[in-house]
Amino acid sequence: MKLTNLRRTFAGLSLACLFATGAQAEEAKVLYFYNWTDYYPVELLGKFEKETGIKVTMDGYDSNETLLAKLQAGGASYDVIVPSHTIMQSLIKQNLLQEIDAPKMANFQYVKPAFRDPSFDPGRKYSAPYLWGTTGFSYDSARVPGGKLDDSWKEFFEPRPELAGQIGALDAPSFLINAAAHYLDIDECPETPQEAKRILELLLKQKPILKMYSSDNTVDRMASGEVIMMQNWNGSTARATLQKSTIKYVYPREGVAMFQDVFAVPASAPHPENAKVFIDWMMKPENAAAVSNAIAYTNGIESDALIDKKWRVMDAINMPPEYESRLRLEKECSNNSRELQDRIWSKLKG
Amino acid sequence: MIAQHLKKLPLTRETSLLVLAYLYLPIFVLIGYSFNANRSATVWTEFSFAWYERIINNPSIQVAALNSLVVASIATVLSTSIALLAALATSRPFYGRRMVEGSINLPLLLPEIVIAVATLLLFMSLGIKLGLVTVTIAHVGFCIPFAYLPIRARLNDMDKRLLEAAGDLYANPYQVFRRVTLPLLWPAVLSGAVLAFVVSLDDFIMTFFVAGPGSTTLPVYIFSAIRAGVTPEINAISTVMLVVSIVLVVLSYWLGQRGRSKAN
Repeated sequence: MKLTNLRRTFAGLSLACLFATGAQAEEAKVLYFYNWTDYYPVELLGKFEKETGIKVTMDGYDSNETLLAKLQAGGASYDVIVPSHTIMQSLIKQNLLQEIDAPKMANFQYVKPAFRDPSFDPGRKYSAPYLWGTTGFSYDSARVPGGKLDDSWKEFFEPRPELAGQIGALDAPSFLINAAAHYLDIDECPETPQEAKRILELLLKQKPILKMYSSDNTVDRMASGEVIMMQNWNGSTARATLQKSTIKYVYPREGVAMFQDVFAVPASAPHPENAKVFIDWMMKPENAAAVSNAIAYTNGIESDALIDKKWRVMDAINMPPEYESRLRLEKECSNNSRELQDRIWSKLKG
Repeated sequence: MIAQHLKKLPLTRETSLLVLAYLYLPIFVLIGYSFNANRSATVWTEFSFAWYERIINNPSIQVAALNSLVVASIATVLSTSIALLAALATSRPFYGRRMVEGSINLPLLLPEIVIAVATLLLFMSLGIKLGLVTVTIAHVGFCIPFAYLPIRARLNDMDKRLLEAAGDLYANPYQVFRRVTLPLLWPAVLSGAVLAFVVSLDDFIMTFFVAGPGSTTLPVYIFSAIRAGVTPEINAISTVMLVVSIVLVVLSYWLGQRGRSKAN
């Protein structure tokens, strides 16, 4: 009996110590920021600390799955996270986020109209925009016949014979199937075997003229001339164009997949007030532009005038407004559709 | 004798060379490409230290390296101290000794992912916030057997007559420990400490599970950065970690050997 009491006291004491340090941290001006690895310029955190006195600790993750696992396991108390829009609905449904009511923040006025009321978070209750991008394709205009390709997925899926063997596709089912579906005018989440079959046929026909399936080093594969055309992200294309100015990016008219990464605050965040200060600060045009200039992805803030000239001249970063109707926000597919996509992929790669 | 016999079997040499290549070729390729000037991991252009400069100047890597060193240092000191005490206690026979020894070495045999999940659940149920502290506590746990084994082995080999002689010369138990046991054990203690340090430095699974804000270590950083493509930067960090590990393992082996020859 005595022993149990002693043990209990000891456990209580050690817990008390822990909570005491926890409570102190609550008062402290610190912020725990969990973001994709190398997806934020570290220097900018110094500026934030200077202006607000809040010291930021940043950790990195590799995928939405890792982020979800950390949040669901609990215990890892981060204040600001950067989920992709495709997992926002499940985060909200599982009560893993807390409301931040972004439209009430002072700098929300700078958010571009298209980003104010997204379908994945109506009314921006739980999120604020960070970076966004598209998955189109890039080509080297110096090495294609005529120096220009039509802005259609046809150039990529049924290319001109001169380009055979010089083309790369992304090695990820979601990106490739998504693009094929847009080209065939099928929903990006194929639900019937007939739809799946049409996609598979297109991909099988394209397979022999591809040089590779790869999602790695797409910047260097383009810049070094390893491939002439490559399914690619706009940010990677922009960085390749910086090395070789003849590289162009295409927003195919049949539709181009768009992703949005957003700021959100986990329900378990120990410093939610600091988190809101940070998110508000990040919507200031000069800070949003500083990120875009460093990472080469576009933000959702009215900051175009502050983007470096080297990026502003590129279509890949500075999307011409007439392409806006071509953007298709990626969807979270049903289980049935995901199974079909897995089957397409294993038949294609098998 | 058996070795002599084996050598006469056909293809022994060829097979061993193949196995060695299988084990070490990937590592040599990794090291080689860390000096590649080109960013691509597939095309060799020219020799360069550029990626090493990049990792030295990358603030995220600096923080991760510092975290790794802090965790490994604290975990080494704590786990080696615990292992030393455990080795001394289990060097004398008592009822249930085998069981105690077994439970000390259990982390070596259990799947690490099971211990990692269990540790995470323990921290959760106690309401402990994840961070550098939890990572260090977890590391101490699985480092203990690595420090324990060399110390225990050395204790076994130790000439008990030296201790008895010290007792005969009126040394009290504390003096025997301070003046005789510890100096004789010291090489094994250092060797165990170095092993614990390396194991802590290289750990990924446990760290990944119990990491919280501000506790990204080098292996966790490498894992999370690899998604963006294997750049020579990753090769360079891996090479540095490899060199540090090899140097420390050699040091540990050398300390162990020296202790043995000195004692005999």
